[in-house]
Amino acid sequence: MSETEPTTPQPEPEPRRLTRSTTDSMIGGVAGGLGRHLNVDPLAIRITFVILVFAGGLGIVAYLLCLLFVPTDDPSAPPVKWGLARTLGAGLLAVAALAILLPDWAWGPAVPLLAVAGAIVYLLIRMLRDDGGTHAARVAARIAIGIVLVALAVGGLVAAAAGSALGGGIVIAGLVIACGVGLVGGAFRGGARWLVVPALVLALPLGAVAATDLDVRGTWGERTFRPGTVAELERGYEMGLGSLRVDVRDVELPPGRTDLPLEIGMGEIQVLVPDDLCVTTEADIGMGAFDVGDGEQGGIDLEVDEGGRVEPGVPELHLVGDVGVGALFVGNEFFDRHGPDRWRDSDFDTLEAGTNRVACLREAA
Amino acid sequence: MTPRPGYDPASLVAGVIVIALGGLLLLDQADVLEVSAAYMLPAVLAAVGGILLACGLAGPPRS
Repeated sequence: MSETEPTTPQPEPEPRRLTRSTTDSMIGGVAGGLGRHLNVDPLAIRITFVILVFAGGLGIVAYLLCLLFVPTDDPSAPPVKWGLARTLGAGLLAVAALAILLPDWAWGPAVPLLAVAGAIVYLLIRMLRDDGGTHAARVAARIAIGIVLVALAVGGLVAAAAGSALGGGIVIAGLVIACGVGLVGGAFRGGARWLVVPALVLALPLGAVAATDLDVRGTWGERTFRPGTVAELERGYEMGLGSLRVDVRDVELPPGRTDLPLEIGMGEIQVLVPDDLCVTTEADIGMGAFDVGDGEQGGIDLEVDEGGRVEPGVPELHLVGDVGVGALFVGNEFFDRHGPDRWRDSDFDTLEAGTNRVACLREAA
Repeated sequence: MTPRPGYDPASLVAGVIVIALGGLLLLDQADVLEVSAAYMLPAVLAAVGGILLACGLAGPPRS
């Protein structure tokens, strides 16, 4: 006869408490703690946080809240004073500035794409981590991860360039500095070289935008203006992106200089003038080309100063141009660019070489 | 002299370079400085080169 051993009462399991992980931590252990608490791979949590950053900064806010209110799993661990200050300051400043400067950034169309990319990266990394895959599968997975990461980097570069050109340059520069501060701080905690990648993804396009003074805020498309009075001319014209065409052939210019301010962030400016009009030009072109009657020239950081002596009393049209990336042309006929080289062909007649110079030196009637 | 455990000089140098580049970009974007392409593009290239050099000289990060 067997005796049944008395069963010892099992103690009630302690309710699992959400804590930040000190063993699985990249910044503050939030993702590691959440993953442990929810029994979910922390990698998936990290990718989700990154994706939510592009949803109006929700990822940053959520992370900061967890950092503030979720305790660490090791009470003896020193408090994360430096990390908290850095993350809180940079994160809140970035979200606030982005919300003001780039309202369309919130819940932009990039979020679904990022979600898909994040899911692919997660699955591929899981494949690599699990040792069951064949060698070929692991190589294929690595290649695929590389392609997705390159695509994400290119997307980040394009987004940073667009954000810079749309007026978010200060925010992006601030984020670059925040990455630098993170690198310096991380240097004393084992290194944080991975921050170099987001820093460069943000800094490189911003540097290009800053170098070319590109600013595409404002109107865009193809616009043709035919001013009828000198006052309209002197007010000038500006566009963000596209083709700005100004036909001044119907304007009766008074004796002396009449300024025509023209500005475009990215695109082309075409100005139509009569052959016998004295035209002088003063323009800054970040990157591109110009042809104001003396042949085409191009390059980076161009300063156009096509002036010279003008006889007193001669009606003079003085173009004051500002082109971020693009071209400035002065001619007798508008042209349409239908391909990369079409603007070089005979569709467009620039001023006959020297015509405007002769007009400037002609004695006033 | 043995380096301190947990200290990564490459991150420190890269961080200083990134902060300097970010500061230059910030000043330019805030219209405090007018940095032309002739200076901005070399500055960006120098920053990338400096970071690569620092990481290369420091070797792989210690775990």
